[in-house]
Amino acid sequence: MKTLLAALFSTLITSSALAADLTAKVMHPWTSGGEAAAAKVFADQYTAAGGTWIDMAVAGNDAQLAASISSIMGGTPPTATHFNTGKPFEDLVSGGLLRDVEAIASSEDWRGVLPKIIVDAITADGKIMAIPVNLQTENWLWYSKEVLQKAGLTGVPKTWPEFFEAADKIKAAGFIPLAHGSNSFWDRFLFQKVLVSVAGPELYLKVLSDRDPALLKDPKVVDAFETLGKLRSYVDAGSPGRPWNDATNLVITNKAAFQIMGDWAKGEFVAAGLKPDVEYGCSLFPGDEVVIMSGDVFVLPKIDNADATAAQDLLAHVMFAKETQLQFNIKKGSNPIRNDVDVSSMDACAQHAAAIQKDPARLVPNPQFVMSNDMLGAISDVVTKFWNTPSMSPDDLAKGLEGAFASAK
Amino acid sequence: MLAMSPTALFVFGVYIGCIVWTCAISFTSSRILPNYEFVGLSQYYRLMATERWIVSVHNMVIYGIAYIGGCLIIGFLLAVFIDQKVRFENTFRTIHLFPYALSFIVTGAVWQWLFNPTMGLERALNELGLPVPGIGMLSNPHTAIYALVIASVWQGAGLVMIIMLSGLRSVDPDIWKATRVEGIPHFQTYLRIILPELHPAVLTSVVMLGIAAVKIYDLVAAMTQGGPGIATEVPAKFVMDHLFGRANVGLATAAATLMLIAVLCLLTPLLYLTYFRTRRQQ
Amino acid sequence: MKPSPHNARGTKPQRLSIARIGIYVFLVVSSAFFILPLYVMVVTSLKPMAEIRLGHLFALPSSPTFEPWLTAWSSACRGLTCDGVSAGFLNSVKITLPAVTASIGLGAINGYALSFWKFRGAEFLFAVLLIGAFMPLQVFIYPLVRISSGVGLFGTLPGVVLLHICFSMPLMTLLFRNFYATIPVDLFKAARVDGAGFWVIFLHVMLPLSVPMIAVAALIQTTGTWNDYILGLIFAGSDNVPMTVLLNNVVNSQFGEKQYNVNMAATILTGLVPLILYFSSGRWFVRGITAGAVKG
Repeated sequence: MKTLLAALFSTLITSSALAADLTAKVMHPWTSGGEAAAAKVFADQYTAAGGTWIDMAVAGNDAQLAASISSIMGGTPPTATHFNTGKPFEDLVSGGLLRDVEAIASSEDWRGVLPKIIVDAITADGKIMAIPVNLQTENWLWYSKEVLQKAGLTGVPKTWPEFFEAADKIKAAGFIPLAHGSNSFWDRFLFQKVLVSVAGPELYLKVLSDRDPALLKDPKVVDAFETLGKLRSYVDAGSPGRPWNDATNLVITNKAAFQIMGDWAKGEFVAAGLKPDVEYGCSLFPGDEVVIMSGDVFVLPKIDNADATAAQDLLAHVMFAKETQLQFNIKKGSNPIRNDVDVSSMDACAQHAAAIQKDPARLVPNPQFVMSNDMLGAISDVVTKFWNTPSMSPDDLAKGLEGAFASAK
Repeated sequence: MLAMSPTALFVFGVYIGCIVWTCAISFTSSRILPNYEFVGLSQYYRLMATERWIVSVHNMVIYGIAYIGGCLIIGFLLAVFIDQKVRFENTFRTIHLFPYALSFIVTGAVWQWLFNPTMGLERALNELGLPVPGIGMLSNPHTAIYALVIASVWQGAGLVMIIMLSGLRSVDPDIWKATRVEGIPHFQTYLRIILPELHPAVLTSVVMLGIAAVKIYDLVAAMTQGGPGIATEVPAKFVMDHLFGRANVGLATAAATLMLIAVLCLLTPLLYLTYFRTRRQQ
Repeated sequence: MKPSPHNARGTKPQRLSIARIGIYVFLVVSSAFFILPLYVMVVTSLKPMAEIRLGHLFALPSSPTFEPWLTAWSSACRGLTCDGVSAGFLNSVKITLPAVTASIGLGAINGYALSFWKFRGAEFLFAVLLIGAFMPLQVFIYPLVRISSGVGLFGTLPGVVLLHICFSMPLMTLLFRNFYATIPVDLFKAARVDGAGFWVIFLHVMLPLSVPMIAVAALIQTTGTWNDYILGLIFAGSDNVPMTVLLNNVVNSQFGEKQYNVNMAATILTGLVPLILYFSSGRWFVRGITAGAVKG
């Protein structure tokens, strides 16, 4: 019955679509090689379904966020715009600026194929308010096999002490231990990885959702801060301001050994023609094998125009479709958000991620699920200062975070 | 009168109206859309407790002092030297003023390239044998702000030069005759007699440069985007980021109001002086 | 012997004293510092990336190429859109021309009204206008976003042009007011005696006299509007993005390895219009700055 309804509904969409002008202006931050290829999948599928895709890519997550919000605030929103799963678009929802996709979500039974944590993150007042398009895993350690071999390492470090030993050997061999592009976004990103792998998933989650200053004194958390501090000396001088994909490129071209980056880095390796376990590898170590999960969604600003609304409906339908999901995620490096997509054609790293995602004890959300953009920004400011100021001690970091917890909301 | 009504509209609607509205919102808890939930001074308290804001203000002050100082000194020296009846005066003036015609974005883009750590000035100077420290000025949180200063002085010194030059040229020629008769060396004349005469020009320069320093945004957006870390964050960028990216309009408008107050403080001496002068003339 | 020209600092020195040499050295070195960035910009924009990576910043290109210029103009990428800064050029023109024309017109009218027609509130209006000139844009942005979206002008060409006009009012009014203050008031009085009204006097008497000031104002305002970033960034909308905003996107775009030669070419292209205006106008530009800055 559900499938019949779904079929009926999609016919309804496509037929009303045929009558309408289905131009969709879609804003997103996907400007690197792998990401752009993934965005193209959406564009192609949408065009095949009868729509016209107008691409509004804005380089840089922060810049794209600012552009989205300013255009929505100013009354000239795009047809759809990208946000990260979680609280970032909470204010838009509570401000009544977004429309829901409940009709399509119900008829196509999105809830039946989505992990609960995602459904919770995109639902407000019982209605689904965003189109989830992927499940990303953030805390991967990407490495260049050639560099590791040249530095005389036999395996990938499994613990942080091993990591630092390896890093010293890599430095001595003349390579960059950790490829990193420093800005407030990516420094905070590193911080998350270190926190979850040193302090463990429960403590990580508690620190970020409860934001209780007492937790900052927990020995495991202090240990995490010290590890982060130590990590500072293993990046090269060109890291400030370097785009993340340039850092990935350092690993791809065998100039650097490691990069701590999300699964979207895989898109770069794929675009460069490299194969996992051949030239590069992916690992969830050092530390526990847990994944920090995040995701991308598209939200639909309320637009008072029948054509635009029809376009939005078609977008929702196309982006969530199984085939689109598979192709998009293969190019992007992340995992499909639907659990009914056959991932056997995806590579080893994706399969590994999918396997871990099935175990709830090893899955934690990224900060955007548990705090506002404002709080996230405040924490990022503190962390990036710590990262860029070698004289700052882990104690200073704790104090700074305490201040951020207290002042932002 | 009717002819000035569009302007009057702008003045009241935009200038006064917007400023009042911005200040009003700074007392609310607005996030994306304005809400009128009055929260008193809490946004201001939060600002004072936000390290990034404190750092932004701190950066602005350091930048401002270095920028004003640099422009004043170089501008004054240029004006003095060019005023010495040199040949090619026009050429020298043109060369030193052209950066002022450029957008801050253009300036930022050029100097960002010049300061490139691996392929820029530092490497070129090293190759020429000059022992300039190898690490990029822009990548070092302690020196990045001075890179901004250098770029801005390059842009702004010409303006000061012109202002000073016009001031120098309006100095009473009899003073020169007198000092020559007395046998006072040029250098002393400049220091003790001419410079004090130039105080309107100096004041004008300081005020204009100071206000530009408070407003700085474009240059940071093009050159460093606030980095490394938050080492080149400035108040104007704080406001913009919180207005849009962080969706915290209340905090952003509080910051903007503080910027406004800073500018008014800088303006007051100039206004006072002008007002006094017109008063005296009446 | 012919008497040498007498001037403020005495006669022009004939000999090259140490002091004179010192002056020239200073000026030449300083000129080199000021020209350096321009030189590096041009030189970098003509080199292929392979040569740039070698790092010799000051070296002339060994195999100059105009590729980067073509790329910058028509195919440089900012994100996924690869159409260079040419679109921005057109947009900047579309924004600058109307804004400059209208603001000069309004400024002249205002200056004229304030100079010759004393009316209640004139001084107050002028004072507020002047103070407004110094205010940081940030304090106007949020209300302006709300207002412009309320009247449907957010992200439109008329919207951003209107804002440019609005923010140029103070300087333009000041320039023209000071200019008209130098025109003998008897001229005005005579016309009044002849029975001419506000507009007649303006159009037939004052405007023809204002040509030099119009030139200066046009220079200053064109440069200012062309070089603007913030207003274009927020209010122009994706269809009317001016060149400065495009430039920043191209130069700071996170897309693969940075093409420094393309970046420099794009930078020069963006700065070309103000530079050409500047180099061809010489003294007028200086007049404009001093008229605005050093007021009575």
